[in-house]
Amino acid sequence: MTATIAELITVETVTDVAGEVWSAMVGADEVLVPDGGSAPAGTSAWVTVTGPWNGAVVLTCSPSATDDLTRAVLQLRPDEEPEAEDVDDVLRELANILGGNVKSLLPGPSVLGLPETGTPPPARPGSSTVAVSWRGHPIAITVQGATEAPELTTTEVPL
Amino acid sequence: MRALVIDDSRAMRRIVSSILEGLGYETRPAGHGREALDVLEEGWVPDLACIDWNMPVMDGLQFVSAVRANPSWRSVTLMMVTTESEHGQIVRALAAGAHEYVIKPFTPDAFADKLSLLGLLPTASEVSA
Amino acid sequence: MTAATALGPAGFDWVCQLVRRESAIVLAPGKEYLVEARLLPLARQLGLSGVAEFVDRVRSRPDPAVNRKIVEALTTNETSWFRDGDPFTALTSTVVPALQAARRPGEELRIWSAACSSGQEAYTVAMLLADSLPNATSRVKITATDLSRDMVARTRAGRFSQLEVNRGLPASMLVRHFTRSGAEWEVAPALRQMVTASELNLAAPLPRLGPFDVVYLRNVLIYFDPPTKRTVLQKVRQLMRPDGWLFLGAAETTLGVDDTWERVPCGRGSAYRPMRGK
Repeated sequence: MTATIAELITVETVTDVAGEVWSAMVGADEVLVPDGGSAPAGTSAWVTVTGPWNGAVVLTCSPSATDDLTRAVLQLRPDEEPEAEDVDDVLRELANILGGNVKSLLPGPSVLGLPETGTPPPARPGSSTVAVSWRGHPIAITVQGATEAPELTTTEVPL
Repeated sequence: MRALVIDDSRAMRRIVSSILEGLGYETRPAGHGREALDVLEEGWVPDLACIDWNMPVMDGLQFVSAVRANPSWRSVTLMMVTTESEHGQIVRALAAGAHEYVIKPFTPDAFADKLSLLGLLPTASEVSA
Repeated sequence: MTAATALGPAGFDWVCQLVRRESAIVLAPGKEYLVEARLLPLARQLGLSGVAEFVDRVRSRPDPAVNRKIVEALTTNETSWFRDGDPFTALTSTVVPALQAARRPGEELRIWSAACSSGQEAYTVAMLLADSLPNATSRVKITATDLSRDMVARTRAGRFSQLEVNRGLPASMLVRHFTRSGAEWEVAPALRQMVTASELNLAAPLPRLGPFDVVYLRNVLIYFDPPTKRTVLQKVRQLMRPDGWLFLGAAETTLGVDDTWERVPCGRGSAYRPMRGK
C-alpha cells in the first residue's frame, strides 16, 4: 500500500512552510505570492528523505532569482556580486531547511540527506509542486516521493 | 564570550556568527563535528557551541556526545541549531546532552531570547571589553 | 489630505510617530507599502475603502484601542515566551511561596493575564506552575483576556508556529508540554484546561472577575493617557485580593499615576501590591 504525497501533505501546508522560511531567513517583509505555474527552468537544490516515506524536497529557482536570493540571505550590498559557491550554498541551505520542515510533517522516523545542487532526482508521478513568485522571480518547491520501501538501487548512504 | 559555530553550510555559519557577534560574542567556525572537536582539543573552549545536526564526517549529535564525554569541556553550553524539528528529534538531542534547541528557520531574535534564558547574553561591559 | 486611496506623507508620518512612541520601533522611509498592506484590513473592518481614509478617521477621532491595533499590525515580531523573564522567575521563587504560606492548603490560585495577545504569557505561567506546584492543573485558574477577538481565539486554540516556539521557550518545556500538530505545536490539554480566554476592553467597565492573586498587566498601560492609566489601575485593584501581586511591563510603573500601590522588590525586578488602607 503506498500513499502519494498529495494524500500526506497539502499544497497550502508547503506554502505556509515556505512562507515561514522566507520571512525568517530571507527577510521579515519578504512574501511568496502563489502564481499557479509549474516549476521554472533554473537551478535546483534538494534534500532526500529516507524512511517510511521516501523522496526528495526540491527547491528550483529561476536564474534571475538566485543572485537576489543570495544577496538577501547573506545581507550583501545590492551592488555586491555573490560568489558562485555562495549561491549554491544558500540554495542548498534553503532546501535543507524546507526539507527538514516538510520531513517533520510526513510519516517518520526518517533521515534527512545532505543537501545537493545540480540535476535533481527525476520527478515521480504524484509529486506536488508549489509554484510561487518572489520579488517577481519564479520559484518552485516540489515534494516528490511516496510511502514505499526504499529503492534498492539507490546510491544514497543513510547516515 | 566565545562561541563555536558548527554547520556545513558556510551561509549558515555566516548568518549565525553575525547574529552572535552582534550580541557581543567572539566566534569561530567549524564545518562539521570533527573540525569542531579539533578546535576544542587545541584549547579554544567556548562558552557556547551552536550545532547543526546533519553534517558530513561527524554529525551534531555525535559531537554533543563527544563533548559530554569529556569532563574538561563541561562548561560549554550546547545549543542545537537545526532543521530537524520532530518532537522525538528534540528529545533525542536533549537526551544526548544538548542544553537548548533552535529550530531552523529562525529569526535573529530567537538567539537573543534563548541566550537570555541560558544567562549567556553578554552584558554591556563584556561587550565593550 | 482628502480621502485619496494612497496614504500621503502626512499620514505616513503620523503612523510612524505613533508606532515609535508606543513601541520604540522605527519605520524607515520607504515602508509606505508595508503600512498600506498591514493597515488595509483594519480600514476594511471599519467599512472604509482605503488606508488614507482610515488614518484620517483615527487622527480626527483618537481611540487608544485603534491605536493599539495599528501598532500591533505594524510590529509583527512574535511574542516571546518568558518575555522579560523576571516576572516569571519571581512567580515561582517569591510569589507562589508567599501565597502558599498565606492560603489554606489546596486553595485555588487565580492568575490574570490581562493583555494576553496570542497566549504565550498565560501558557508560560501555566507551564511554570504545572512544573512546580502539586495539583497545579486543578488548583490554578488562569484568566487570559485581550481586546482582540483574533488574539482570544488564538489563545484558546493554544497552537503556535515553529517561529513562535523558537522565541524564548526552553526546549525542555517545549517537549514536555507541547505536541506537534501538522506544521504547528499544540499546548497539552491539561495546560489548556487551566486557561480560560475571553475578550475584554480594559478601558471599559470591567466584568466581575477574580479576585486574583496575581495579575500580569504588561506593556498595555503605555497605550493609555495618564487619567485612563489611573482608572485602569484602580479597576484592576478592585479585582485583586488585598495581598495580591501585580506585574507591569519593564518600562511601566504605578508611580506618579496611582498612589494606592506599593512597589516591592521581587526577584531581580519589582512587583506592585495594593497598599493597606487605601
